[in-house]
Amino acid sequence: MKVTIKGYTGVAVWKWVANDDTCGICRMPFDSCCNDCKYPGDDCPLVWGQCSHCFHMHCIMKWVNGHQKSNQSCPMCRQAWKIKEK
Amino acid sequence: MMSTKASEQAAKKLGIMMTSRSSANGQTAKRLVIKNLKMVPRNDEDNFSRLWKNIDEAVRAIHESRPVSMSLEMLYQKINDPIDYLKLLNRHWQDHCAHMVMICQIFLPLDRGYVLNNPLILSIWDLGLDLFKNHIVMNKLVQTRCISGLLALIDSERGGELIDRSLVKNLLTMLYKLQLYQSIFESEFIKASDKLYSNEGETMLQSSDIPEYLKHVEKRLNEENNRLLHYLHPSTKHLLILCVEKNLIGDHVNTILQKGFDNLMDDHRLDDLKLLYNLLSRFVNGIDQLKTYFSQYIKKRGRDIVINPEKDVVMIQELLDFKERLDAISECWNNNEKFTHALKDSFEHFINQRSNKPAELIAKYIDNKLKAGNKEATEEELDKILDKIMVLFRFIHGKDVFEAFYKKDLAKRLLLGKSASVDAEKSMLSKLKQECGGVFTFKLEGMFKDMELSKDIMSAFDQQLTVKTSINLFVNVLTLTHWPSYPIYNIILPPEMTQLQERFLEFYKKKYSGRNLQWQPSLGHCLVKGHISSGNNKEFHVSLYQALILLLFNNKDEVPYEEILESTKIEESELKRTLQSLACGKVSILIKSSKGVDIHLDDVFSFNHTFTHKLNRIKINQVQLKETQEENQATNEKVFQDRQYQVDAAIVRIMKMRKSLQHNLLVSEVVGQLKFSIKPADIKKRIESLIERDYLARDEQNPNQYNYLA
Repeated sequence: MKVTIKGYTGVAVWKWVANDDTCGICRMPFDSCCNDCKYPGDDCPLVWGQCSHCFHMHCIMKWVNGHQKSNQSCPMCRQAWKIKEK
Repeated sequence: MMSTKASEQAAKKLGIMMTSRSSANGQTAKRLVIKNLKMVPRNDEDNFSRLWKNIDEAVRAIHESRPVSMSLEMLYQKINDPIDYLKLLNRHWQDHCAHMVMICQIFLPLDRGYVLNNPLILSIWDLGLDLFKNHIVMNKLVQTRCISGLLALIDSERGGELIDRSLVKNLLTMLYKLQLYQSIFESEFIKASDKLYSNEGETMLQSSDIPEYLKHVEKRLNEENNRLLHYLHPSTKHLLILCVEKNLIGDHVNTILQKGFDNLMDDHRLDDLKLLYNLLSRFVNGIDQLKTYFSQYIKKRGRDIVINPEKDVVMIQELLDFKERLDAISECWNNNEKFTHALKDSFEHFINQRSNKPAELIAKYIDNKLKAGNKEATEEELDKILDKIMVLFRFIHGKDVFEAFYKKDLAKRLLLGKSASVDAEKSMLSKLKQECGGVFTFKLEGMFKDMELSKDIMSAFDQQLTVKTSINLFVNVLTLTHWPSYPIYNIILPPEMTQLQERFLEFYKKKYSGRNLQWQPSLGHCLVKGHISSGNNKEFHVSLYQALILLLFNNKDEVPYEEILESTKIEESELKRTLQSLACGKVSILIKSSKGVDIHLDDVFSFNHTFTHKLNRIKINQVQLKETQEENQATNEKVFQDRQYQVDAAIVRIMKMRKSLQHNLLVSEVVGQLKFSIKPADIKKRIESLIERDYLARDEQNPNQYNYLA
């Protein structure tokens, strides 16, 4: 008796690698999207700041755009908001 | 001009008439009547004239004090016979008319030249009628005998005998022409009909069943209409038909419905139901009563279908059949909208009497249809079935229960490749969307999106592979929120599979930064090539778990249970289920050391070297029955958790409006607002949770009362 596997159809669930479960701005779980979006994923991505906090991109952009350039800080830790490039 | 023979006859009759007229003028009317009575014939004209002659002779003999040749008693009988009497009267009337015509003709110049210019004087014809009326018909005895004779004739016709209709018609025309029809005939006639039919209604209802009764009523109505056509004056129609309807239907609406409605419905007697509707529609409240019975019937029968857990297997099919039957019946109601609404309301009422289960079964039914797909029916047929099931779905209050089960089943169909037709799946989805809106379906749509996205990811993955792997990998990457949640197990995969997974993960992370993947081994499946003995090669379509177990037999022929558990780390209940599918199912590729279906801890499994199968590609199904109950409960619990938010929202909404409210009042208002049924104890829990979270507070004086905290 000898069996070999020819094909494997696996199932995997994707998750954001985030240091929190919910977005600090909209309070929605990261696994779902911000209030303006329908589908999580590419439609509603997350961004990480250099301070290591992360938010829905739409949420933090709204926040940042609501403040003057000099005053753009992370809503969680008040450090200057800079997107961490990967 | 009249022919010679006719004029001779007319002259002879005129002679007779002149005698009677002169005696009528000169003597009492009573005498005239006696004279009339003498002239009664029997059946035909010959008979009549013979009798007439006899009577004429007899009367003359009496007057002239001669002995009478015939038996006096016989004469009396002849004269007393009501039909003969009527015939006699008719003959007189006909004669009178004929004579008057002739007299009118003779005195035409008088009529034209004199009477026409003096409006106060009656024309000769009218005068003739007037004389006939006053002297003959208005006579009490003539009148009574005439009317009672007519009524007796009609009565015997109603009893089923043949009567001389023209005789009745002639006499009724006479009465009408003399303007006596309404005053002396009609009221008596209606009274008699009323009596007959009220009796008949009572007795028939007792003795016969409803379909028979309805047919009888219809027959009666036809007969009366026929009577109106043939001899009654049309002006009687309204009163007469009303009398029949009222006595046979109107007075018994409730009895008829009570006694016969359910049976008619059960036996699906469309014609009788239609007749019933037509008969009842003649009454103001008849239709409403019928509608009430219709609703009650649906609720009663529907409840029987829904309420019994033992009949769950056939519930949906029975509901579909029931609905179809009711739809067919709606034609009997002339497609009356009131009935359509009653049907909807009643259906909605009973189907929600059992909470959650119908919703679940509808989802399961759809699952079965979509799995079977075109194998059972063509695309069009399938679409029709789905349309029908959507009608049931519309009645369901607990749509969230449906969604949960539908989602779970859809996930299985998609991930395990069990869906028979993508088109059918999509069409079902669009039906749901149409019915409940985008919010309801967007998670389901997300599932389809994930499936398509996975295809793109996989083709990208395959393209970047430099060397083709020995195992052909496909990964369905799911978005957590769209899919049902599955328990996560960590199992031991063979190194080459782990490697492959890692390679994919690496690729995925590069493509989608910031994401990680969690594998769901319980949903994976494999294509396995098995070399059983030389020349006996098979391909197996198996679950990942099944594949892992089979791989263990590559090195050994016998593996004990403990070892399988150790080397795969599959969760025990899953493992047992999987082993059962391999060793105890239809396709037993493994042999279990102990007998029976149950797996024991000390069981040893060995490879079945003699395994054969007529197919080359074999699908080994999972044993699933046992699990469904737990799954089922889990799904229900999940639904209930989601519902908690709705309960919370309802409580807060009510309290915000009322500011403060007694416990009982709050509970009943919440129940009224919610679309699904909920136990008061559960509401209480939610209230307590809201108090904890400072949405509400108990009143300090009255612990039974809550205050809203702004």
